[in-house]
Amino acid sequence: MYLILVADQRRTPGSQTSLREANRARIVDAIKKHGGLTQVELAGVTGLSAATVSNIVKELTASGVLHTAPSTRSGRRAQYVTLAHALGLVAGVHYSTRHMRVVLADVAHTVLAEHHLPLAKDHRADNELDRATLLIADMLESVDSELDELLAVGIALPAPLKTATGTTARGGILRGWDAVPVADVMERRLKRPTFVDNSGNLSLLAEARLGAARGKSNVVFIDVGDGIGSGLLLAGAMFRGHNGVAGEFGHITIRENGPLCRCGNRGCLEAIAGGPAVLEALKPEQGPLKLGDVVIRAMAGEAPFVRAIAEAGKHIGVAAANVCNLLDPERLVVGGELARAGELLLGPLRHAVERSIIVDEESMPDVVQGQLGNRAAALGAMILAIDSVEISTEDAAIA
Amino acid sequence: MTLEATAPEQTAPAREPVLSIKQISKGFGAVQALTDIEMDVYPGEVVAIVGDNGAGKSTLVKILAGVHTADSGQIFFDGRRVTIPTPAASRELGIATVFQDLALCDNLDVVSNLFLGRELGSGTLDEEQMEQQSWTLLRQLSAKIPSVRIAVASLSGGQRQTVAIARSLIGDPKIVILDEPTAALGVAQTAEVLNLVERLRERGLGVVLISHNMADVQAVADRVVVLRLGRNNGNFRVPDVSYEEIIAAITGATDNAVTRRATARPTQEVPEA
Repeated sequence: MYLILVADQRRTPGSQTSLREANRARIVDAIKKHGGLTQVELAGVTGLSAATVSNIVKELTASGVLHTAPSTRSGRRAQYVTLAHALGLVAGVHYSTRHMRVVLADVAHTVLAEHHLPLAKDHRADNELDRATLLIADMLESVDSELDELLAVGIALPAPLKTATGTTARGGILRGWDAVPVADVMERRLKRPTFVDNSGNLSLLAEARLGAARGKSNVVFIDVGDGIGSGLLLAGAMFRGHNGVAGEFGHITIRENGPLCRCGNRGCLEAIAGGPAVLEALKPEQGPLKLGDVVIRAMAGEAPFVRAIAEAGKHIGVAAANVCNLLDPERLVVGGELARAGELLLGPLRHAVERSIIVDEESMPDVVQGQLGNRAAALGAMILAIDSVEISTEDAAIA
Repeated sequence: MTLEATAPEQTAPAREPVLSIKQISKGFGAVQALTDIEMDVYPGEVVAIVGDNGAGKSTLVKILAGVHTADSGQIFFDGRRVTIPTPAASRELGIATVFQDLALCDNLDVVSNLFLGRELGSGTLDEEQMEQQSWTLLRQLSAKIPSVRIAVASLSGGQRQTVAIARSLIGDPKIVILDEPTAALGVAQTAEVLNLVERLRERGLGVVLISHNMADVQAVADRVVVLRLGRNNGNFRVPDVSYEEIIAAITGATDNAVTRRATARPTQEVPEA
């Protein structure tokens, strides 16, 4: 971080070099967004001149950042530009309760293409795995690659998974996916090794490698969205527990005879501070809402929404304090859709932790927002896939 | 319907429907296509109209778009009672309709398509201004269009749908009607269109979505209006309804509580304009 800052300060903002640097970044960003583009299209999207685009593309191709291939557009010859991907590719897929995100990346963690879309409530495994398969095939095509360049697939699911069976550990939490051995099904469709884990764990993995938990070895990640989940990093290793279902933070009982939770128990944190509960509390006055609307309107300063998020933060804080007393982590990273509200959620959460934690003020864990936002779990799935495949030097020769 | 039924008194100013249709009927000769259809659309809300073939979805859309006129019933827009005799009248009210065939000119580029019939500039066309506005609009929709100067023919299905939707936004409408926007699209393009619907919703527009795909409908809609044989057969809030209930209402496998309650209730007093 420090090094980057120094480098930035040394370069004068208006100089030729910084301009060139900015143009390079613009081109790479445009290619990342579209997966692949011809040089002419690049000029259109970035607003740079064709000559500049051509020069920069040539330069970046030589240094191994970009890859060009001859192609045609409307009958004319064209150069199709994609990011270079040595060694092979992996896909990361994240299903949340109402959303799905697919990233395609190379083994150096560079995301080459990304898609996301809203999902139906109670989406079903067959339909959505089909969709992921098609999307991955489509994305491979957009970066000018073949299916055999795909090394592995990682999938993040918003439910506890049993390591022994590879299915959800308890029926009803992710209804359309009960009893489906996700990894096997996906492997049969794509003919590629597939690895599945809980999205809380994978978000933690991503934050630990690329985000807010870098360099820490005792971290609790809390995922606050439609459901509430978590991932535990203890003594530098991910903690999964005996059955693989550790970290079901959302199902900590915080009110003994509280409201009924979708897991079947009463008074779970999720039933009190999860997405549906937050929306339910706002419903009478506000009409149709999604969690994203709540965040946007709270950030615009609308009182009922600010209050609803603060209320959720308070309840989550109570549970978090218990976890902190149990595990004594160094840092609490809060991610997920509701965390986009930043301090509106984190403030009350932190306050509740401070009140109930046993250690003194100096040894309190810091409570921070995740850096990867709602992409964390998909990136975590990608990292899981990269970690799970062996990359031999022979692969490099083929690529 | 459920909303009004439970909270008739709580009409905060922000919760007035932007479009409200009451007891719309339409017949074609011996065929009664629509009978006493009721529907409300609020700002920032996505309402899906679903139903079997011949349920009257397209007829309803065509009435709102000004292609057909209703035989009886009232349409309220922004609280005022209106008539929609022509497509131009519909557009002027602030209803933009994107039909299934998109009605784009394949040989023209994206900018020309967006501003077709509404070109900027007096005497000579202000190409620069139009191109700039096109980019602004497409960026707001997070559209993945590689260039605004390529012919629409060379775009993918999803990109063409995006251009058609972007074009509908140029007149600053309050309601956007999308007729089968994801039919015949690939999975990546469908994703783009669904995200686009969410963008429209965030902009505070009322969106009416007609679709056969129940997964797409449940992904983006706030409310689902079911038509069956030209009649209302259910009005569900998506968070409260299961896939099975919607299918049952479409096929008529059950009569549902909502319609039963509606018929049991004494006829609402309809405010006369």
